[in-house]
Amino acid sequence: MDAIKIQLPHTVQPRAENANDGAVSRTMQPIVTGTSVVAFKYKDGIMMAADTLASYGSLARFRSEKRLMAVGDNTLVGVSGDLSDFQYMQHVLEDLETRELCMDDDQTLGTKSVYKYISNIMYNRRTKVDPLWNSYVVAGLDHDEKFLGFVDLYGTRYQSPTIATGFGAHLAQPILRKRVEGREDEIEEEEALAILDDCMRVLFYRDARSFNKLRRAKVTAQGVEISEPYSLETNWDFAESIVGYGG
Amino acid sequence: MTSIGTGYDLSVSTYSPDGRIFQVEYAQKAVDNSGTAIGLRVKDGVVLAVEKIKHSRLLVPESNRRIMTAAKHVGIVSAGWMSDTRHLVKRAREESRNYHDTYKRDVPAKILAERMGMYKQVYTLYSAVRPFGVGTIMASYDADGPQLYMVEPSGQYFGYHGCAAGKGKQVAKTEIEKLKLSEMTVREAIKEAARIIYSAHDETKDKLFELELSWVCEESGRKHQRVPKELIEEAIQYAERALDEDDDEMDDDEE
Amino acid sequence: MDFAQFQQAPVSVPTEHHSHGNRWDPYVDNGGTSLAIAGEDFVVVASDTRQSNGYSINSRYSPKAFELSNGSVLATTGYHADALKLVEHIEQRAQLYFHKHDRAMNVSAMAQMLSGILYSKRFFPYYVFPILSGLDAKGKGAVYTYDPVGNMERVNYQAYGSASALVQPFLDSQVGFKNQRNADPSRLLERPQAVKLAIDAFTGATERDIHTGDWLDLFIIDQDGIHQTKRELKHD
Repeated sequence: MDAIKIQLPHTVQPRAENANDGAVSRTMQPIVTGTSVVAFKYKDGIMMAADTLASYGSLARFRSEKRLMAVGDNTLVGVSGDLSDFQYMQHVLEDLETRELCMDDDQTLGTKSVYKYISNIMYNRRTKVDPLWNSYVVAGLDHDEKFLGFVDLYGTRYQSPTIATGFGAHLAQPILRKRVEGREDEIEEEEALAILDDCMRVLFYRDARSFNKLRRAKVTAQGVEISEPYSLETNWDFAESIVGYGG
Repeated sequence: MTSIGTGYDLSVSTYSPDGRIFQVEYAQKAVDNSGTAIGLRVKDGVVLAVEKIKHSRLLVPESNRRIMTAAKHVGIVSAGWMSDTRHLVKRAREESRNYHDTYKRDVPAKILAERMGMYKQVYTLYSAVRPFGVGTIMASYDADGPQLYMVEPSGQYFGYHGCAAGKGKQVAKTEIEKLKLSEMTVREAIKEAARIIYSAHDETKDKLFELELSWVCEESGRKHQRVPKELIEEAIQYAERALDEDDDEMDDDEE
Repeated sequence: MDFAQFQQAPVSVPTEHHSHGNRWDPYVDNGGTSLAIAGEDFVVVASDTRQSNGYSINSRYSPKAFELSNGSVLATTGYHADALKLVEHIEQRAQLYFHKHDRAMNVSAMAQMLSGILYSKRFFPYYVFPILSGLDAKGKGAVYTYDPVGNMERVNYQAYGSASALVQPFLDSQVGFKNQRNADPSRLLERPQAVKLAIDAFTGATERDIHTGDWLDLFIIDQDGIHQTKRELKHD
């Protein structure tokens, strides 16, 4: 009879020798998670949004978590996936900021540097087969050049005018490709907000791990601005017409 | 110093018969030979200033900075060996980071001062090591407001309203004592700091020097940073005017 | 407490991770296709720029062919993160070589070095299928192909990637003249034909392979250097 094993989240579980084959085994799964991040380029810079829910499996565990953060003066970072891993990353990035400040050399952290820094951490951790279970969206604007990049737990990275993580990659990305692609330099703020809200609304309707309390953020020449939480207007009338499904 | 040459000054691991550790006192001498450094704690922040003596005209202006940043909210200026200073600032950065890693909170000034004091003190215990020839002045703005500490080579540290180290420290301290620090703003303190550094400067011994000024205050968002150029210019003009007036008075007295 | 019930992460979809037993698989296939065709005094290199993950398109423009500091071009397919790291790794060694020899690496030296780099990770490979192209010491077009653990061969042409099963037979027929009567299999193509075939190969691959498309990065390497152009492929 096997003893009952208590499994700790992978971030705190020590490397254990497997009695059977001597191989090293680790639990590999996110525990408290955040869902999609949606971001795209528009005329003045980059828009991004993420809801405030931290799920524990299917349980809506924490309902006012912040998944958007500013790094330096003109870089915005959004995250989905394991939130303890994100808090670790937050810590690392704050430390990077402090070290940059101490340099006292009149230089500041650029968006591309922050992106490469996060990418290196992600790739190095995957190479240790002990990944940070996240997807990061990094956005910024220096000297009129818009930057929007992605990196995930595999260290896979890419840049694109529209980016959405998690379910957003399936539900929001098609909307963004239709409404943004090729128009990145034309879209005014007002339209950008509408697109963002439409994406987040679709995600709220269909992603069971989403939440109708979200923050949006933008990076422009004026720097980073992260909003207070807000809610979207929703309409559930269609639910009336759904029949079947055991109801 | 009656005990000089009696053999009790070769190592920090031996006391003299009258209970002194000469190597530590000699380290203090190294501090006293340095260009003057001061710190002023006022009601809305702390100002650091230093007389950076330049040994050559060929040095690049503003290079070899003597005021450094140890954490977002902590500035350090030292009197003494710069090589030792850089090592200590590196240590202060590690201590600040370590504290933040543990508590996710800015290190309070008194904790950092204590840790730096402990670190220096260790170098007063063993014959294999040399005490740091540095007086470390730390300016900080923490949860309890503006803070100013000075850590000596012995590891002793005190909190101050105003402090000074280096060759002009007597002049500087006399001047600082005349100020009403607790009623002052940093903007006023910058000017006074500049004036004090200029008046402590001894033209006959050291010709070239550069004034460095930094602050950590409400206006800087409780962050330690260099004082903006315009304000430094203003402060220097104020200092030079004050010096001229002093000279005039002296001339009058003579007449 | 049993966390197994959360194995399926809410933020992930089945295509995002494939597990072998209990162990997390640290590799992904980012799709895409690369090819190179050598000529007498040139090489044509082409890669599409789509980066995908399962059925999702990550980016329409994420180049996977890279100009290296010694004037050669490395075209990759496979796991993009490894490809980027591999390029950094090669460039680091190339810089070292440059400073030691006061001279850039020639392509054959880099080819051998790349084999060594790949083999040094034999038991945790870079999941990359590289094609290294340049001009050899005599000025002839040189194409070196590898498997992910460093097996190397110099060839006249090569196609790798998600559409390699479509493109390689096409090149075998049109570049290699394989199994054709009265044809010389060692004959090299002229430059216009090589470029045309490379483009046609990608037009065809884009039509039938969902992981290939968006844009085509085209490099022509000759005595004068590298000429790069970007052409449109279907964005579907």
